[in-house]
Amino acid sequence: MADIPAIQTEALVKRYGRGGTIALKGLDLSVSPGEVFGFLGPNGAGKSTTIRILLDLIRPTAGSVRVLGVDPRSSHELRGKIGYLAGDFVANGRQTGRELLTYLGDLRGGVPAERIGQLASTWDLDLTKRIGSLSKGNRQKLGVIQAFMHRPPLLILDEPTSGLDPFLQQQFVELVREATGNGQTVFMSSHVMSEVQQTCDRVGIIRAGTLVAVEHIDDLRKRALRKIEVHFDADAPTLSVAGVSDLVVDGKVLRCKLSGDADALVKALAQHHVVDLISEEPELEELFFTYYQHVEA
Amino acid sequence: MRVFWKSVRDNRRGWIGWTVALSAIAAMYASFYPSINNPAMADALNSFPQSVKEAFHMEDYTKPENYFAVSVFGLLVPILVAVFAISAGVKAIAGDEEAGTLDLVQAHPVSRISLALQRFTAIIVALAVIAAVMCLVVIALRGPGQFTALSPGRLFAVCLQLALFGLLFAALAYGVGAWTGRRIYAIAVGAGVAVVGYLGDSFFTQIDSLKWMEKFSPFDWYLGGEPLKNGVQWGHAGLLLGFTLLFVAAGTWRYNQRDIAV
Repeated sequence: MADIPAIQTEALVKRYGRGGTIALKGLDLSVSPGEVFGFLGPNGAGKSTTIRILLDLIRPTAGSVRVLGVDPRSSHELRGKIGYLAGDFVANGRQTGRELLTYLGDLRGGVPAERIGQLASTWDLDLTKRIGSLSKGNRQKLGVIQAFMHRPPLLILDEPTSGLDPFLQQQFVELVREATGNGQTVFMSSHVMSEVQQTCDRVGIIRAGTLVAVEHIDDLRKRALRKIEVHFDADAPTLSVAGVSDLVVDGKVLRCKLSGDADALVKALAQHHVVDLISEEPELEELFFTYYQHVEA
Repeated sequence: MRVFWKSVRDNRRGWIGWTVALSAIAAMYASFYPSINNPAMADALNSFPQSVKEAFHMEDYTKPENYFAVSVFGLLVPILVAVFAISAGVKAIAGDEEAGTLDLVQAHPVSRISLALQRFTAIIVALAVIAAVMCLVVIALRGPGQFTALSPGRLFAVCLQLALFGLLFAALAYGVGAWTGRRIYAIAVGAGVAVVGYLGDSFFTQIDSLKWMEKFSPFDWYLGGEPLKNGVQWGHAGLLLGFTLLFVAAGTWRYNQRDIAV
């Protein structure tokens, strides 16, 4: 079982309608069991299309899909092993949260009421209220709970934290960590870089229907540009060191960007009196931005 | 059967409302019968031209089977049953899909065919309950309403045909909705067939070139064989049921093949 990928697609093509727009142009994707895979890309790149194919809500035009080793088209039971959160989570507003969760749990063969109650109290959600009267954030909580409540082997989450405040986003990160602790696989699309940085092992970047890159999050971080600020006791020197770019000297302060190894820069600085050294954590957002531009060029 | 029970639960208020309203209308018309059953009324009716009488199916209203065919089970009740059936059929798949709420349920381990058929089964039950309650109310009024000449068997026959008539429209709206995923198409086709079917069974019968349409009207299959006089018309019942099966099968087949809209 361990060698079967949790998700595998080969040359996946999706065309909407006859001669309509092509959302996916031969997507090859492989997600290993137990990993957290971030699926990133601009709006309209094909993220939701891919996700909806994995759940057999839409059917591919060409190519093959395997989810937990099974073709989603061939078996509706497969969906019992998946927890799904749609990018735009909506449910009939005339029922209460508990009514919905009990119903969805029953469709999955039953989820204990204690499990639902416990998740609701962790997430501070009133299940007795009608869904129509809940705020957008509270509705999203309901979406998160229904995806996680049955502890599925595979979680497929489309923009899971949209509408959640930073505190709840952090709580979501905890939930994902707990899930991976249990050996669950997580496949999620996201725009929030901090949550990707905190949770994902690997990220795939999709653009215009094809996967342009798959990287380990650590490799990405290594290649990312780091902002460096150095304060000296006298006027700052002008340095010429490998890996340093955009160097600016402003009185006693030196600002630059550094990619890769910091050793050469540190050794060059060591010849001067350094009062303070500030190195900012690289922003993945900036990195992806350069990625997108790079591909475009 | 979880989807079936959820469907019943979600719609219970509306369905109870329709049952009460339709039974009340039928009861109202039925209790009006004693005031129709007098010679002055018969004379008044006889003064209408023959073509108008035919268009409105006007006959000797002092006989309960004639009065009931145009009043209790005539115009208003079948049209309301058709409206109810079309709205329930549209809601089953297309309405849910356009609201964006079908996505969530179909991401769960329930097959498309099972979900669709369980929802249609709930509509069958609703129509059966509506027709049964209406039937019992009218039968209970036979004594006080002075129409004991109308046997419970005949009343049952007309209610059965009415339920099948409703089922046909539910199946049509369900089928078009399940096929296309669009509410507007399901409503338009359902309402269109109802209107053309009604005209085909009434005014078009006065136009020689359009007379043939009467045989293809669901209204004719419902009341044309005069079940209040002749009992259940099995041929008509078969037509209603046959088309119901066809529409349900076609819509469900296509729903199982196609993409679910966001």
